Amino acid sequence: MDIITQLQEQLSEIAMVAVNTFGTLQRDAPPDRLSSSYPDPLNPNPKPEEDAKPQVPAQPGAAPAQVQPPPAPPQPPALDLAEHPKAMSHALVLAAKRFDALVAALPLSSEEDQLKRIQELQAENEIVGLELQKQLEAAELELKQVEVLFNEATDNGINLKKPD
Amino acid sequence: MATSAYPPPPPYYRLYKDYEQDPSSAPEPPPPIDGNYKVFGVEREINEVLPSLESRQLYPKGPNIDFKKQLRTLNRELQLHILELADILVERPSQYARRVEDISLIFQNLNHLLKSLRPHQARATLIHMLESQIQRRKQAIEDIKQRREEAQKLLGESLLVLDGSQTN
Repeated sequence: MDIITQLQEQLSEIAMVAVNTFGTLQRDAPPDRLSSSYPDPLNPNPKPEEDAKPQVPAQPGAAPAQVQPPPAPPQPPALDLAEHPKAMSHALVLAAKRFDALVAALPLSSEEDQLKRIQELQAENEIVGLELQKQLEAAELELKQVEVLFNEATDNGINLKKPD
Repeated sequence: MATSAYPPPPPYYRLYKDYEQDPSSAPEPPPPIDGNYKVFGVEREINEVLPSLESRQLYPKGPNIDFKKQLRTLNRELQLHILELADILVERPSQYARRVEDISLIFQNLNHLLKSLRPHQARATLIHMLESQIQRRKQAIEDIKQRREEAQKLLGESLLVLDGSQTN
């Protein structure tokens, strides 16, 4: 793939990683405590209360900022909450670095340089084309001469052959 | 304009029935189009230019844009804005819209820069094609010269052989 397409693909990858990061964090974020008058949703009380989990709307990105290790809930969510942002931000920075590397690999030159080079190449192409044509014509001429000589030689050969 | 879901192929193939026997009986290929043309109901021009970003352009305008520097600067800005968005979502989640708009603006600028590099790429491709054509032609010239020399040598040798056998 040419480098500009690679750059464009890398750009979409950065966008995708960013969007996935925020989406995953928002989806997996645990509910946040609104105020001390409400019971803590992360800390379920000994006496079960059905209405004790105030769901805060759109509380994303708070997962990495919150340091409330839930005592009872199972282990995997706690690990995910810490690992996910790290892994995803790692991916984001990696994608951005790759973009920079691709930018550094761009073979850029000014427009005048390119146009000058094109004109030079066109002139050289003309010259080489003329030379090629000359050689071709000379070679075809020689081929015809050789054919004529060959025909003569074979005719003489046939004429000189002693009839049996 | 026929708009069926699976249109049949165009009926021009019938005109080429006798192409094997008589290549001139079939019509010539159509000439290149000049001016505007229609594709799938959309009208386009032949020399399409990239529409400019106008007021939404973040990088400085001017005749010579340092593409690499601008691309790198915009990349850094993008990262900063993503970080800002994360912060905003933590502290003031309801104000995400402005940040998201900024990020999409940066993406638009980046894509515009990349698209404006395409003419440069086209010229570079042209240069490459000319170079390879010159290379091929030079190679052909060398080949022809070599063959001619070989043929001359063979002729000379055969002449010697004939002369030798004649004087015998």
